[in-house]
Amino acid sequence: MNSLAARLLAAALLVLLVFVGLTGLSLEHAFHARALQAEQDKLKGLVYGLLGASDLVPGKGLTVNENELPDARLQRPDSGLYGLVLGSDGHVVWRSPSLLNTLPGAARPGVGDWRFQRVQGSAGPLFMLDFGIRWAGGGNKARRYTYVVASDTRDFDAQVNQFRLPLWLWLTGSAAALLLVQWLVLRWGLRPLRRLAGEMARIESGGQERIEARYPRELRALVDSLNALLRNERNQRSRYRQALADLAHSLKTPLAVIRGLAGERSVPREPRTQLGEQVARMNQIVDYQLARAATAGRRALTRPVAPLAAVQRLARALEKAYAGRALQFDIRVPASLRLRIDEGDLTELLGNLMDNAAKWARRQVRVTMAQTQQQVELSVEDDGPGFPVDAERLLARGARADSRREGQGIGLAMAADIARACDGSVTLGRSGELGGARATVTLPAA
Amino acid sequence: MRVLVIEDDEALNAQLAAFLREHDCVVDTAYDGEEGLFSACEYPIDVAVVDLGLPDLSGMDVIRRARAAGCRYPVLILTARGRWQDKVEGLEAGADDYLVKPFHPEELLARLKALVRRAGGWSDPVLACGPVRLDTSSGQCVVDGTPVELTAYEYRVLEHLMLHAGEVMSKTELSEHIYAEDDERDSNTIEVFIRRLRRKLDPHGRIKPIETLRGRGYRLALARER
Repeated sequence: MNSLAARLLAAALLVLLVFVGLTGLSLEHAFHARALQAEQDKLKGLVYGLLGASDLVPGKGLTVNENELPDARLQRPDSGLYGLVLGSDGHVVWRSPSLLNTLPGAARPGVGDWRFQRVQGSAGPLFMLDFGIRWAGGGNKARRYTYVVASDTRDFDAQVNQFRLPLWLWLTGSAAALLLVQWLVLRWGLRPLRRLAGEMARIESGGQERIEARYPRELRALVDSLNALLRNERNQRSRYRQALADLAHSLKTPLAVIRGLAGERSVPREPRTQLGEQVARMNQIVDYQLARAATAGRRALTRPVAPLAAVQRLARALEKAYAGRALQFDIRVPASLRLRIDEGDLTELLGNLMDNAAKWARRQVRVTMAQTQQQVELSVEDDGPGFPVDAERLLARGARADSRREGQGIGLAMAADIARACDGSVTLGRSGELGGARATVTLPAA
Repeated sequence: MRVLVIEDDEALNAQLAAFLREHDCVVDTAYDGEEGLFSACEYPIDVAVVDLGLPDLSGMDVIRRARAAGCRYPVLILTARGRWQDKVEGLEAGADDYLVKPFHPEELLARLKALVRRAGGWSDPVLACGPVRLDTSSGQCVVDGTPVELTAYEYRVLEHLMLHAGEVMSKTELSEHIYAEDDERDSNTIEVFIRRLRRKLDPHGRIKPIETLRGRGYRLALARER
């Protein structure tokens, strides 16, 4: 269970279920005991009533005056209320008119004892109360009788059910209400966490720089640490890039000197060419690794950039650098288009592709960007001779920098590396309209 | 062609200067931004090479300030990293071309020549005025299809006049662009070079390639051809 709210709600639900269940059961139990007691008292009253209607007639034994029966239901056959008087040997002395069959026999209680039990009668379950009595009077020898009163349990069951249904309804209702309250409390209590998650999402999408809102005391330490972490990450990134720039500068200048030495006429031809080749190799390795290390790639905390500005800047710069060639840059990039890519990466990616196109174009370079639902497609086309047949191999991942000859698409390989680092790809083809090369970059949409 | 090299690395600076001098350039050198900016504003430079990673004043600032001070000549930047952001920024600051270290000195020279040509309004490496063709990449001079042998100084004078064909060049200006600071200068030698050039380019006195404007200087009198 991976949600705090779900955990807390589940715990609350469990506690509520146990609590409500126990409450319900104990209430039900108490009511049941109470009702049973009432039933027993009622039957006891009937026994006393029957005793009151009984008379010991000399010679005839015990008789029950049926006009004095305590309850009219004893008169009506199968009414559900039955009376029975048994003699000492178990024979029936009197049975109420309501009793058509016999009552289930049981061990008789002692004189003066009550026995209350639930038995299975012929027409359904019954409560049965037995009372043992020794009757003396009229000069006769005292005789032992057992008074039995039974009543159908239907009334009792109905009564219990009548109590049980609303009991459980109320308990369930209040449990649901408690859960609802608990849920609202949770929502309220966890709202700062949701707000924090929202802020983090905005930071991730570049909408803001740091966590701004005030948070409850328990979260404040966390928020402070997060802000420190964000700040640190930013500083680290710029320090890292600065260090790379310094490294590049301090490496490239000596390389330039060696390259110059390789051109000296005083150096014999053989070592001169070797020196030149080795410098070129070293340079490409350094370039390639520096470019790779400097690529920010796709990661959190980059804000969406508008590529149009970068394309225009590069076009202006290339127009200047290739001023002798009167190149035309045709830019078809919607101003509203956004890419989620580090601005430096975008400039490198576009710079390499546009420079390559400018190098080979006769007159025209065209940059097109279009957004589909999931991705942005960026094409750089020219009207030059087009790519060689095996150009795609220059894009291969991990193609060793030092295995390339100078000027042979190292820019393309760098572009492909950057695109890959940003979860995109580069494909090479032929431009339909301009007839030259066409490099297409696919990047995920912002 | 007078080139200013602003590069803080002494070895590279010395090497570049030597290479450029070897190829008929007049070279001024500076080892930091302040010194470079001073040279950039004070000397009659044809083209400047500026390293972006200078210790005090960055190369970018040198270019910006030189441009603000009214220097119009082309500038080529040297960058250590091939970062497009650096290149774009440099070009936006006022540079005209860039070269990534390490580079072939020959390529640097070719780029510098192209920049100077472009600044003079030429697009082709072969400057053509009337019957005179001057190939700036090979240093060959041809008149009416006949090759003409020129000495280094004669070549420099002709190149400068042709690059600025139609403009008047004073003797001082010419000597500034063909002699280094510490060379022994004598404006009379310019007259000598001009006389020799006239004789070599126009042995029969038919085309009159260079005219003298009394008290002002010289002008290449032939029409530019594409």
